[in-house]
Amino acid sequence: MLRAPLRSGAWVTLATLLAGGCVQSEPKPVSPGLPPSPWISRAIPEARGDVKDSPDGTKVAVRYKGWSTEDFGRFRTYAYDDPRPDIPLARPPMPPITGDPNKGRSLFLNRSLGPCTGCHLIQGEDVWPAGDVGPDLSTYGDRRLPAEYTFNLIHDPRTLFPQTLMPAWGAAGLLKPEEIAHIVAFLGTQKGPLPSEKDPERDPRTRAKPQGFGDNLDPTNNPAVLRAEGADDLWEKKGPAAKACADCHAGGALSAMKGVAARYPQYVAQYRRVMSIEDFLTVHAPETTGRPLPEESGDNLDLTMRIKMAANGMPVSLDLAKPEHRAALERGKASFYRKVGQRGHACADCHTAANGRGADKFLGGRLLANVENGLTRHFPTWRTSQADVWDMRKRMQWCMTPLGMNMLAADAVEYAELELYLASFDQGKPISVPGIRH
Amino acid sequence: MADIGLVRIRIPSSIKPGDVVKVRVLVIHPMEIVQRKDGKPVDKNYHFINRVVVSYLAKEIAQFETTQSISENPFFAFAFKATEPGPLRVTFLDTHGGKYEGTADIKFS
Repeated sequence: MLRAPLRSGAWVTLATLLAGGCVQSEPKPVSPGLPPSPWISRAIPEARGDVKDSPDGTKVAVRYKGWSTEDFGRFRTYAYDDPRPDIPLARPPMPPITGDPNKGRSLFLNRSLGPCTGCHLIQGEDVWPAGDVGPDLSTYGDRRLPAEYTFNLIHDPRTLFPQTLMPAWGAAGLLKPEEIAHIVAFLGTQKGPLPSEKDPERDPRTRAKPQGFGDNLDPTNNPAVLRAEGADDLWEKKGPAAKACADCHAGGALSAMKGVAARYPQYVAQYRRVMSIEDFLTVHAPETTGRPLPEESGDNLDLTMRIKMAANGMPVSLDLAKPEHRAALERGKASFYRKVGQRGHACADCHTAANGRGADKFLGGRLLANVENGLTRHFPTWRTSQADVWDMRKRMQWCMTPLGMNMLAADAVEYAELELYLASFDQGKPISVPGIRH
Repeated sequence: MADIGLVRIRIPSSIKPGDVVKVRVLVIHPMEIVQRKDGKPVDKNYHFINRVVVSYLAKEIAQFETTQSISENPFFAFAFKATEPGPLRVTFLDTHGGKYEGTADIKFS
């Protein structure tokens, strides 16, 4: 790390602190009421949201293994000091070409672009899986809308519907004007009458809702349970400072930490910010045991799960009236509704149901969860599709990566306050960790 | 994993006489894999479970021979016909002489 060019002051500070054998710094509040910024990340390198210059002059985002390394630096993030404006509205003329419906159809289905079918149903048995966040377009051609109108609608729907959930495909640079012209030509071919539906699973409105993966606390069913139990060793193991968790918190993790997780995320006065269990461990473990426990490391996740298991079955009990929490909830809510990234999506677009938003509908084959039901109380959770444990932060980082936003560090204050806002919907509902999800 | 040899058995919550019951058993065990040196397997007494014995009503009903190709903390699932109430015992034997047992009480409801 030290050989890498040090460009910003924050990096120099971090390097100096690390060289001094001390990662704890004095957090500086930017203004009264706001949490310290920037928080020096104590996450593993893949989880810090770093963007590096590559030798050919392009920027490369450092992310988890297998994730895109594309830099989305042009687009707004959740950072509280992010000055980037909305993507400018655009209404260019339609290119003077004759659209090819076949090209349009393959663009419509192309998984590396939209895919448009993630939200809209069209005709054809090969359309799988289609979602129903947006209108069914199976008979769009029957509406005889002018091509120019449809072109504008795809290029930048905000020029026609300011409250739309649809990304500005053209204005954000996701589709070229010629490609949109092909899609316009294709949509003109979508005419009734519709053939009878052979497979009820094809249409998201008649598709069966996913049933889940059984008992999440059964170790024969959820591999994360054994991982969490493995953290009992870590609890007893002395760190470089010759201290173990067990030296101060006697009686094993499950009894010493009983119910603690029900109060998190919470404002921790010592660090002047809202923290989840994961965040707290990244500073508390090195301070007491001398052992680093960086965010998103396996040990941090395992210990977090074990501490949360000590609150299993207990209701989430956040102190929502605390002044620091009220301010953080306001900021978290603002993040939840903020349009970010290349696609200009907000969390609320997919995870609330009011005003025709996406919650409880299918996005492709995935049923979008509704924030009203609480999204956080089963995290960290085993993901059957990833064969790994993910905590809330990695889930947040992943959510916006395919939507074109550079992720923040996993332990960023912005994520912590967003998580607090999400957890406020879990208030009073029983904790059940580790969860198991797709 | 602190508890080597800890056996956990899961059976359905409701069983009727004559039911074919699916049993899920998990055991904590390192299941040591083959080490190689210069491309050749190292010859040593590897620590892994090589035999699993299932008994029901004190009678052996199945025996499995297992190898190192099975994962750490292995999980086995099998079915048997529950005819009478009584204990179902699963015994794991490993190459270092370890013997780990778990019992589930088959009750009808």
